[in-house]
Amino acid sequence: MEAAAAMDHHDQHESTGIDHRKLGMWVFLSSEFLFFGALITNYLLYQGQPGFARPYPAEIYDIPFTSFSSFALLMSSLTMVLAHNALARHDQHATRTWLLATAMLGSVFLGGQVFEFTEFVTVGGMKLTTNPAASAFYLLTGFHGFHVLLGVLMLLTLYGISRRQGELSEASGLNLELVGLYWHFVDIIWIVIFTVVYLLAGVPAGVG
Amino acid sequence: MATHPGEHHHPTPLQYVKIAILLAVLTIIEVALFYVNEAADMGGWDAPLLIILALFKFVIVVGWYMHLRFEDSTLSKFFTAGFILALILYAIVLLAFGVIALGS
Amino acid sequence: MTATAERRPATTIFRRPRSTTGFWAWITTADHKKIGIMYGYASFVFFLVGGLEALLLRIQLSSADNTFLTAAEYNAAFTMHGTTMVFLFVMPISAAFINYLLPLMIGARDVAFPRMNALSWWIFLFAGIFLYSVLIFSDPAAPAGVEGVSGNLDPADNTVLGGMPDGGWFGYQPNAGPFYSPGTAMDYWALGVQFLGLASLISSVNFIVTIFNMRALGMRLLRMPVFVWMSLVVALLLLFSLPIIAIALFMVTFDRQFGSLFFVAEAGGDPILWQHLFWLFGHPEVYILILPAMGIVSEVLPVFSKKPLFGYAAVVFAGAAIAFLGFGVWAHHMFASGISPVAQAAFGLSTMTIAVPTGVKIFNWMGTMWGGRLKFTTPMLFAIGFVAMFVIGGLSGVTHAVVPSDWQQTDTYYIVAHFHYVLFGGSVFGIFAGLYYWFPKMTGRLLNERLGKLNFWTMFTGFNLTFAPMHWLGLQGMVRRTAYYPPEAGFDFWNLVATVGSFIIAAGVLIFMFNWWRSKKHGDPSGIDPWDARTVEWTTPNPTPEYNFGVAPTVTSLDDFWYKKYEEDSEGRPVRRPEAEETLTDMMETGTNPPHPIHLPAPSYYPILLAAGIPLVGWGIIYHTSLVGKLLILIGVLVVASASFGWSMEPLEEPHDEHDHSESSGDGYSLPEVDA
Ligand code: HEM
Ligand SMILES: [Cu+2]
Repeated sequence: MEAAAAMDHHDQHESTGIDHRKLGMWVFLSSEFLFFGALITNYLLYQGQPGFARPYPAEIYDIPFTSFSSFALLMSSLTMVLAHNALARHDQHATRTWLLATAMLGSVFLGGQVFEFTEFVTVGGMKLTTNPAASAFYLLTGFHGFHVLLGVLMLLTLYGISRRQGELSEASGLNLELVGLYWHFVDIIWIVIFTVVYLLAGVPAGVG
Repeated sequence: MATHPGEHHHPTPLQYVKIAILLAVLTIIEVALFYVNEAADMGGWDAPLLIILALFKFVIVVGWYMHLRFEDSTLSKFFTAGFILALILYAIVLLAFGVIALGS
Repeated sequence: MTATAERRPATTIFRRPRSTTGFWAWITTADHKKIGIMYGYASFVFFLVGGLEALLLRIQLSSADNTFLTAAEYNAAFTMHGTTMVFLFVMPISAAFINYLLPLMIGARDVAFPRMNALSWWIFLFAGIFLYSVLIFSDPAAPAGVEGVSGNLDPADNTVLGGMPDGGWFGYQPNAGPFYSPGTAMDYWALGVQFLGLASLISSVNFIVTIFNMRALGMRLLRMPVFVWMSLVVALLLLFSLPIIAIALFMVTFDRQFGSLFFVAEAGGDPILWQHLFWLFGHPEVYILILPAMGIVSEVLPVFSKKPLFGYAAVVFAGAAIAFLGFGVWAHHMFASGISPVAQAAFGLSTMTIAVPTGVKIFNWMGTMWGGRLKFTTPMLFAIGFVAMFVIGGLSGVTHAVVPSDWQQTDTYYIVAHFHYVLFGGSVFGIFAGLYYWFPKMTGRLLNERLGKLNFWTMFTGFNLTFAPMHWLGLQGMVRRTAYYPPEAGFDFWNLVATVGSFIIAAGVLIFMFNWWRSKKHGDPSGIDPWDARTVEWTTPNPTPEYNFGVAPTVTSLDDFWYKKYEEDSEGRPVRRPEAEETLTDMMETGTNPPHPIHLPAPSYYPILLAAGIPLVGWGIIYHTSLVGKLLILIGVLVVASASFGWSMEPLEEPHDEHDHSESSGDGYSLPEVDA
């Protein structure tokens, strides 16, 4: 997406009036639904099948804890949009603050995930290799966590550039918008995962 | 290119905060619903309610935080196409496995 | 990663590459034409590799109970033949055409993201090399990291060929999983295809943005050449189907490397899930393979019929309809896999409906030729061959949309006949039509016509000898994917015919290569418009100048170039305009000496560097239990990360003097907006 970065304006015109990179980002995000959809389907198929080795993921969820880290991710969308807004108002200082806040909230979420996985494996006794439902759970949430990690890295890069140059230039402004789009997208995917995979999860009849 | 349609309709920081409060409240309702259902079985009514709440949050973030409401319709067309396609295809797969069922 | 320090090009890690010719120019190029040419040559090499594998298969099957190959080698050869032809030949050569032609056909100077485009190409190349590195590294021992698996290969099968991936291009589970395909071969397959998919996904975003955003002034969507339309449809299919296979392949890699249980039936994993995910991608994929060829044929037929494409809008909408419906038919590959009767009926019906838009296209092509002044040049012969062969393949496709009939046909040679009629008679013939037709754009010369006709007729004869008999072999019950058939089955004769046919095809390919090699140096000069063509790419000199167009074109109608040369007389017949020659001379002149300076995307080291990290990660994953493996992952990730960082710090174009701006502000390149 960064390819057209400093594309000089003489050759650039957009038949649709949308910047290349922004259009590219939205196009890419639309395909991400099929990535996450496959992973969620996979989980839904296996979580309800009887006869697997125990435990099933839903047996060992810690809903209060996950609600807390989900909340952190949700609020990071607010700080992200505030960063964007601050840059639009040319308030470089506030931009930096909100960028850092977003990265922090993202890290809280990631830290929560690391903690959750560790608990599940050591206390709950559910490993990747325990049963297909567990495999599906780890692949789905791990893949999402990887997205968050990439997002945090991009946010920190923007923050670093802003620190070094004292400001984010016009071109970086678009970058911030793109990172923001990606970030919100990762958030909405988690909104779905939180409901479908955590709150609505069940165990097959006869288990638990 | 020169004028960004809707640029000045973007919400203000205060509005963003209000939206966040709404999102937070919705999340609290979600978690509460979960516990209500744990305590007294809602007879399957928790699922549609929770899904509606999640969709609501989804739409709010996409529409306002991602500004999709204020953008050219090409973008929303792509985005909805991906979403709907994924929904339909995977629903058919889950139907074929009997994980979800039509009717009863 | 996404940040750009526009003002500080000095922060780049490397000095900006400067060469415009020679080795480094190719390594660092961001020019869509150079990238297209590299895609073309590389995929042709893979075509030869896949072809050799096919010849091995045909030799083995030439007689009953033949012992030319062991069963393991046969499995490996058909797996790699299919994988190579689909992912390393037809897809990338379509990418070659799209790369080279798409910007030219819409009147642009390049694609929307030139360096991303280079990245796609290098990832593709390295993924292909990674996949075939299995020949060197393959190891029949159990994949590390999964407990309870012991190699069960017969040591006698441990040959170079037999060590290649052997689970089929469709990778059915659990056969291709850790327990039934021990060794590392299928890991190479799963990761190799994964990386190839990544390359295509990046291209698809790039092409979509290019088509949406970079059309010349006046080029409305419904004025785009059909090839551009088909490229758009293919890009959309890729965009929405590749993620599905990506996840499925991740699941395989996790099962094989980290002991997850997605498809391990003993632990409750469901192999049918693999089939759903694979064919959810796999059926759109077959349209990904055919639509570019359909686009090519839709360009070639009108030119050599001297008539506009019959029902342009219908062809475009049929293409879009195929794409849409193509997502709803996948389970027709699973009629014998135990899906419910309702699902069988539904998918049987949806499969039949897809024949409707396909038929629409066929009638449009026939309508185009009907009453035209046909010129049987080589591209035209291949295009007509395409239409004829595709009809046969499409019809046999409809016969296995009928479920009870498919139960007889599935897994027999009848299916093999079907998909070779659509893929070879279809895609490959279309691709050859395109190669002959656009060769002048690349070289400024024409391929030799006499050799071309010989090429066509040998391939056409060889093709039908090889694949027509498979229809009846299949209906007699000869099953696919097995190395042997018993003598008493009576399959010998037609198998021998097929084998002979395959060698005739090989001869045709050799003729083609000779023609190409000779005509590149000695072919007749083509001039600007060798075929009396209709589309914008022919309004600039051959070979195409680096900047594509001296002045960015403006378009006022479909087939714009044609109407610059022809007008209609009172009876609607085309008459050449008196000023046509002068128009061509002018085009030649502005194309050769652009009136204003033109800025092009500068070359870059980062795409190749970034892509180089990816196979390192791949090898690392396969050997992740060893120290070397862990190091490889680490190095690979570092390479990718540092290349992304350097990339984000490098502006797309070199900075240049401000005064250029005022000079070029009145030229054709900084175009105002056009309605979509
Ligand atoms: C009229 C349109 C078409 C119809 C109705 C159709 C139908 C089918 C059906 C029902 C099968 C599954 C048969 C079985 O395994 O029992 C099949 C297999 C196949 N088709 Fe088609 N098809 C059509 C066009 C195409 C095209 C255009 C291509 C590629 C360019 C293609 C490539 C294939 C391939 C590769 C397979 C075999 C896959 C495998 O098992 O390895 N088909 N087709
Ligand atoms: Cu199919």
